[in-house]
Amino acid sequence: MLQKKICMLGSFAVGKTSLVRRFVESIYSDVYQTTVGVKIDKKNVQVDEKEVSLVLWDIYGEDDYQRMRWTYLRGASGYLLVADGTRKTTLEKAVSLEQKVREEVGAIPFVLVINKSDLIRDWELDSALESQLAAQHWSVLRSSAKTGEGVEESFSLLARKMLG
Amino acid sequence: MGSAPRHSRDPLEFRPKMAETPPTRPAVEPDEPSLEPDAQAYLELRQLILAPEQEALERLHQRVDDPASRTEDVGSVVAEAIQLRRKQGGDEALSVALAPTIETALRESVRKDPATLADALFPVMGPAIRRSILETLRSFLESFNQILDQSLSIKGLKWRLEALRTGRSFTEVALLHSLVFRVEQVFLIHKKTGLPIGHAAASAVAMQDPSLVSGMLSAIQDFVRDSFHTPQGQGINRMNVGDLDVWIEEGPYALLACVIRGIAPRDLRDRMAEVLENVHREYSAQLDQFDGDTAPFVKVSGELSRCLELRYKEQTKPKSFAFVYTTAALLFLLVAGWLGWRAVQYARWDRLVNTLREQPGFVITSFGRQGGHFVVRGMRDPLSADPAQFVTASDVNPADGEFRWGGYYALDDGIVQQRAKSILSPPSTATLTVKSGVLLVSGAASANWVKEIQSRALLVPGIRSVELSPELNPGRLAFNQAKLQIESAVVRFPVASSALSPAERLVLRNLTGNIQSLLQAADSLHQSATLEVLGHTDSTGAEAVNLDLSQRRADRVAWELGQLGVPERVLRARGLGTTSPLRTEDNEENRQFNRSATFRVSAPVP
Repeated sequence: MLQKKICMLGSFAVGKTSLVRRFVESIYSDVYQTTVGVKIDKKNVQVDEKEVSLVLWDIYGEDDYQRMRWTYLRGASGYLLVADGTRKTTLEKAVSLEQKVREEVGAIPFVLVINKSDLIRDWELDSALESQLAAQHWSVLRSSAKTGEGVEESFSLLARKMLG
Repeated sequence: MGSAPRHSRDPLEFRPKMAETPPTRPAVEPDEPSLEPDAQAYLELRQLILAPEQEALERLHQRVDDPASRTEDVGSVVAEAIQLRRKQGGDEALSVALAPTIETALRESVRKDPATLADALFPVMGPAIRRSILETLRSFLESFNQILDQSLSIKGLKWRLEALRTGRSFTEVALLHSLVFRVEQVFLIHKKTGLPIGHAAASAVAMQDPSLVSGMLSAIQDFVRDSFHTPQGQGINRMNVGDLDVWIEEGPYALLACVIRGIAPRDLRDRMAEVLENVHREYSAQLDQFDGDTAPFVKVSGELSRCLELRYKEQTKPKSFAFVYTTAALLFLLVAGWLGWRAVQYARWDRLVNTLREQPGFVITSFGRQGGHFVVRGMRDPLSADPAQFVTASDVNPADGEFRWGGYYALDDGIVQQRAKSILSPPSTATLTVKSGVLLVSGAASANWVKEIQSRALLVPGIRSVELSPELNPGRLAFNQAKLQIESAVVRFPVASSALSPAERLVLRNLTGNIQSLLQAADSLHQSATLEVLGHTDSTGAEAVNLDLSQRRADRVAWELGQLGVPERVLRARGLGTTSPLRTEDNEENRQFNRSATFRVSAPVP
């Protein structure tokens, strides 16, 4: 069986946890995140008829008050970078996080997920920034934890990138 | 061909050049024949063009030939070369090549000065040794607590027996039995990614997804390391909740975690280390390059399940048979002991019963156990000895049995004699003896009592007849009684007179009854009795006169008795004068008392 450790990164309250909650196998409660600083879930995806088991490390923190435990990133094969479409700062944070990850563990595959696509009218982002990032060969997807839009795709895309 | 010697003079100079720049050569060579006449110019041109290159070649030549400069060259790049080689993936070959040299170097270093290597290793060894000691102590304490709990129980006793039987120390046996545990799951976790490489579980164990558990376990390891800044290479090696223990053994690439229920022995830790070492040895390359694919580790679960095997199996040990034998032997001894004790008890009671059987006044009708209790039934004469005294004298426990007696009159001489004594209440001077149902009465007793007893004695159970001893014969008793009465009588006279006053005549008249009784008793005894009348005087006067007076007094009384009907043949009269006075004449009254007549009965029988 093929397994991959992946991390969920992003600012506080961008919906990392909500994003995966409906789509993963989980045995631990959300309390783990605030106590141990991480919650681990599992997601199986199919890539070219090959099943890959993604072990998700949903890491808590990284805002002004909470320092992230970079140790948890060690050994990750890839990560989902999550931003909140309704808050521009979260995208800026995502960009800086990507940079930090590159410094800490090197360049590993990632997918930027811009969440809350169901609230697209309240979005602070313009498509220009998205295309600017796409130009830097970033994989950018829109998702909604509420409708489930783009969630499966995000995981599949990340798995494909890790295997590719 | 002028160029030939130059070519041959320095062929090495050109070979690399020619090899490296084949296209330049065809460009030059076609020109050469046309420049032949101008050889000098050509040489100069050649000199001009090739001189710097030739000089460089010359320098290179020198550097290659000179060992000193070659060493210098290699020295400056050796580290980079090794790094490069490792990047290219030739790690193993490099290690193989270097291993002997490094080994020799280490050996040489230790030989020269062990302190150098010891100093270098000190920071590593100290913590390792401390950790090992701590771990040993902890597991020892755990086991010790268990043993303390158990040492006074029946189980503890069982262990002592086993220790005796097997010749091992009690501590060892107790330790072994205290360690009841079960390894429920074993995880082999890749350290870097926290992904499970292998997993094994005991049967019927509820378990969670190994991927998630492995991830969380390594997250917690990281969490503890980060939070408490533990030294490099140290992490959690044990987690404990109630009777659930998680033991973690860490290797360079992987962690081995065992989920244990109960108290596991130190051996398990050794087994874990062994398994982890084996995994690292067999899969070192695969572990290093692990990318989440567990396919190369398919067989690792076999190795992991070795950790599941280790557990104390109490039921399967053959010792249980020995225990059964011991128990059976003990039971046999107990039963034998009990039976023996019963036999001893029975023998004691039997002895007691036989003793009672021999006693007068006891009849034993039955003897036996009733509900664990001895019961002796029989009859007992009220006058027989108290059975309690025999019980006390014997070695039986009085509480173990009881007597049920019926009453009866025993005919044993001793008992009958006692019975006669208690019923007939003889005077202390008389003696009663019983022999074969005949009561023998002897000693002294009143005639009335003797008379009475002859009829009363026959009412006493066990007495068939009465025999009186001769002195208790009624005739004799009557004779003696009459004699006593007669001999105590005194007939008194006035001074110098033998005349009887009417009062004295009355005394004599009364005396005749006794005399008649005496004579009758003598008759019944077929004997003849004589009644002597003895005359006395006081001491005054002449002796001849007194003697005469005393004779007259005796005669007077005898005559009077004859008148009263006493046969003359039994009467004798005799004057004694003053020869045997009745009283000492110290006053007038006593002197007067001596003027008298008395009686003496003589008979041939004693």
